[in-house]
Amino acid sequence: MKHLLLAGAASMALTASLAHAEQVTVFGPWLGPDQENVEVVLAAFAAASGHDVRYVGSDSFEQQILVDAEAGSAANVSVFPQPGLAADMASRGFLTPLADGTADWVRENYAAGQSWVDLGTYAGADGADSLYGLFYKVDLKSLVWYSPENFEDAGYDVPDTMEDLIALSDQIVADGGTPWCIGLGSGGATGWPATDWVEDLLLRTQTPDVYDGWVSNEIPFNDPRIVAAIDEFGVFAGNNDYVAGGAGAVASTDFRDSPKGLFSSPPQCYMHRQASFIPAFFPEGTSVGEDADFFYFPAFAGKDLGKPVLGAGTVWAITNDSPAAHELIAYLETPEANEIWMALGGFLTPHKGVDTSVFGDPTLAKMNDILLNATTFRFDGSDLMPGGVGAGAFWTGMVDYAGGQSAQDTADAIQSAWDALK
Amino acid sequence: MDIAGQKSSLSWAVHISVVLLVALWLFPTVGLLVSSFRTSDQISTSGWWKAMFPSQQNLTLRSDAPEMQVQEGDIYVIEGMLFPEGKDAEISVWGVSSRAIDSFTAGDTAPLSKGGEVTVLANGQYRMENTEPFDGTRGTRIFVTATTPPEFTLRNYQNVLFDPANSEGMAKAFINTLTVTIPATIIPIVIAAFAAYALAWMEFPGRALLIAAIVGLLVVPLQLALIPLLKLHNEIGIGKGYLGAWLAHTGFGLPLAIYLLRNYMVGLPRDIIENARVDGATEFQIFVKIILPLSFPALASFAIFQFLWTWNDLLVALVFLIDSTGDTTVMTKQIVELLGTRGGNWEILATSAFVSIAVPLMVFFAMQKYLVRGLLAGSVK
Amino acid sequence: MHPALQGIITILVGVGGCVGYFYFSNQFIDKVLFPARGENAGRNINRANMVRPWLFLLPALLALGLYLAYPVIETLRLSLTERSTLPDGSTAYAWAGADNYRQMLNEPKFWEALRNNAMWLAVVPALATAFGLLAAQLTDRIKWGNIAKSLIFMPMAISFVGAAVIFKLVYDMRPIEQEQIGILNALYLNFGGEAPIAWLTVPFWNNFFLMAVLVWIQTGFAMVILSAALRGIPEETIEAAIVDGANPFQVFFRIKVPQIKGTIMVVWTTITIVVLKVFDIVFAMTNGQWETQVLANYMYDKLFRSNDWGVGSASAMVIMLLVTPILVWNVRNARNEMK
Repeated sequence: MKHLLLAGAASMALTASLAHAEQVTVFGPWLGPDQENVEVVLAAFAAASGHDVRYVGSDSFEQQILVDAEAGSAANVSVFPQPGLAADMASRGFLTPLADGTADWVRENYAAGQSWVDLGTYAGADGADSLYGLFYKVDLKSLVWYSPENFEDAGYDVPDTMEDLIALSDQIVADGGTPWCIGLGSGGATGWPATDWVEDLLLRTQTPDVYDGWVSNEIPFNDPRIVAAIDEFGVFAGNNDYVAGGAGAVASTDFRDSPKGLFSSPPQCYMHRQASFIPAFFPEGTSVGEDADFFYFPAFAGKDLGKPVLGAGTVWAITNDSPAAHELIAYLETPEANEIWMALGGFLTPHKGVDTSVFGDPTLAKMNDILLNATTFRFDGSDLMPGGVGAGAFWTGMVDYAGGQSAQDTADAIQSAWDALK
Repeated sequence: MDIAGQKSSLSWAVHISVVLLVALWLFPTVGLLVSSFRTSDQISTSGWWKAMFPSQQNLTLRSDAPEMQVQEGDIYVIEGMLFPEGKDAEISVWGVSSRAIDSFTAGDTAPLSKGGEVTVLANGQYRMENTEPFDGTRGTRIFVTATTPPEFTLRNYQNVLFDPANSEGMAKAFINTLTVTIPATIIPIVIAAFAAYALAWMEFPGRALLIAAIVGLLVVPLQLALIPLLKLHNEIGIGKGYLGAWLAHTGFGLPLAIYLLRNYMVGLPRDIIENARVDGATEFQIFVKIILPLSFPALASFAIFQFLWTWNDLLVALVFLIDSTGDTTVMTKQIVELLGTRGGNWEILATSAFVSIAVPLMVFFAMQKYLVRGLLAGSVK
Repeated sequence: MHPALQGIITILVGVGGCVGYFYFSNQFIDKVLFPARGENAGRNINRANMVRPWLFLLPALLALGLYLAYPVIETLRLSLTERSTLPDGSTAYAWAGADNYRQMLNEPKFWEALRNNAMWLAVVPALATAFGLLAAQLTDRIKWGNIAKSLIFMPMAISFVGAAVIFKLVYDMRPIEQEQIGILNALYLNFGGEAPIAWLTVPFWNNFFLMAVLVWIQTGFAMVILSAALRGIPEETIEAAIVDGANPFQVFFRIKVPQIKGTIMVVWTTITIVVLKVFDIVFAMTNGQWETQVLANYMYDKLFRSNDWGVGSASAMVIMLLVTPILVWNVRNARNEMK
């Protein structure tokens, strides 16, 4: 009997490994260092499943995915940086719902699981809601990166409140330095870093329900409160003394190049507000936690809005159905898939079952804590807006604002673009 | 012939003007070429016109970590070389604080904020001494202003062309571009040659109208065709791929091909054709045995035109060819991606751009005569 | 299948297919349909000769019809429809009348694109033709003229994207504390500028910096054609003017230029067509940001970023409209030549 069982198990394993090895294509926004990291994870999946996995990245993901979907030649799995765009594609019938039971799994295994289910649930072409996307790789956005050694050399302290942050910026200017490095350039996606600034500042100047209303357009984009948040961004980016290269360079500096100013000799800037994935673009050899560290982008002490945190994530969806595509999604649910990238750095996860000691550097553990302990957590607004706004008018509008257009005009233009989509 | 005689001052002015004009037209490309042979440090610190001169850089270097310290008597010493192996630079001034990177000159000794002192020599050698053991896990930062001799390298080309781990490699894109270009050059020639012969040497009603229509189609911008053709390709199942790109290039290239070839064929000697007809040759035979060989210059002209056009094309590839497997990227697309992601890494950008323009330039210089002839056909009134 | 293999097969099939088609269709009408023998020999030969041109033309006409003629009509039709997804996932095109055009005319970006295109049309052909004429005249008699012409012509072989990279290096800006690696900023600072400028982000003037790229490329084309035209001017007219005491400038402007006016027009119109199609340069260098949007890029944006085929088609029709006068002029010239 035991022999039979063993033989049966062996033959099942054999057939499983001989099972039809498919090609799985993955299309995502990552190029450069991030691309190498995702390829490590995908290689592990390939080794475990026997499939042939290919990854392609593009700086103009948002345009390319639409063209490919139209032509019927989309990848098996696509990695959307914007849930709003994924929702668009779902409503046009280009996505395949995830396997049954995935929603329950997410609810149980992700911290604040219901939010992650909600963010991945969209209406299909027939109007019915299904879970189309799984979040894998989450980023924390309300962070300011700095060089502790530079702060030490100059005698600066990490600010706890927004008022202190602005005072510190003025102090740096008075000392003859430049406080901020800001870069909006990103190929076809130029302008998105500014949207993060505006969202963070909106969360720090208004209550969370204003943010929610803004994202759903119940509160119009050109509402005075939103315009005020854009002007808050202008306090930092529009001030020639505050920004490395002057206000004019903000829109033309690539976001991947701008943090390098923290480490140049002499330092071009002292602070850089950017999400948790940016260490991948620090100069080679920079040790995160020692040479570079972060502090929480502070809230106004005088406004009593707590410590709001902005975050985002990439949602993986099936754009060309195949059994292997579902297997890839299932693989991403394993702790192992998360731990591989955790060790490589620049990766956070809401997965409750991972071994947090595997994090590549101590800052990541610190960040994960922020993620889990925020008083208010909101997902990146521009990623939730419909693609034509969140991956279009909002980005180009912010570039125009950085170029000198008034906040009111910018907000008006974005609102009319939003209206045109309805 | 030239009865005015050459005024020497005028001829000098002409020569100098031409030199200036040529220099103006040449310098952008030269800048790119020179940059592709420089290292990334050198490119970001000095303009390409200074490539032959030593460049001055501000560098942030680190001493060895405290774990490397040795005890000499009762002082603790960390000693070594700041520059990496093989780098030959001369330090002029240096500092230990990011606020004052030039407070000391080479050979000075400076106090360290965490205790001890450090001496840095002009060649990059340093020595740190302290009465207490050095603590911490990272080496101390030392900011130097160093002059490095000009450095040229082939490593950029190696990375761009051959590095298998390089996700931005041009090798695959190169082969793909070739794959798109060659069929897209040959097929239109075949189709156009027959059509041009008919329009040049066969009498039939409506000929003038057709010629006028082709002249008209020469002008139609290809933007007009993108959406309907993409829709068509999707509907008949070709989707995106090489076949779609080949068909599109053929369609877009035909008006020019027919126009060029017809213009040339009209100029062929009438008697040869008439004699052949009288001798009983079929039209097909006349075409293959007489017209084609005689039309070779025009065929070559168009072939070069079409080759250059398809090789350098971006829009048709973006719309009809490039999909998400990553196998179908072409060189122009690679460069656009690089402009976006590596806009600051000129060593990669310049090299990739040069790799992509190398082949067209070679074709251009080798076959210039035919290209010029093609341009002139029908343009000079 | 490996694309290279696919390519080789396509070439073989394509060329073989074409040749086979022509050969066999010719055989067919000569031997089978209209045999040149028997009582109807004469009539048959005539009939064969009437049909034959259409045989030769058929593949070309099919390709042209499908790839150029049909799209014009289809784009027009698409510009009058609105695309939507039905609940079952299929796409429907509903009649929308002039809605797309109305929406397009209401967008400030469209007017910006139109204005910019107008600037491009005014500046680029004029500058390229002028430089081309200058280069053609200057290189005409000197010994190393051919080499000079070659070097000025060389940019025509470079892709627009490659040229975009080349000029991005020229326009590069670094912060004032660092050394400039872009030659324009280096010169600017050398000759008294205070701070380096990000040339491509300066509103209005950045268009000219983009245009410089196209002028750089097209001047060679203009030069080659105008050079041949200059060579074609009869010597007697020049000699007569010199005998009459005209200086070189007068000879150039009063004698030479008027005689090559036709060619100048051809060059001008050809470059105009290229200008209207220019997509790569703006796409690669600014992607329409900082008010540099042009119609071709606007259309691509509408098509692939906003996924709005209706307005995209409408803007394509605008490009077609702008090109039509040249189309008419060319066709009229061609017909005059026929007579």
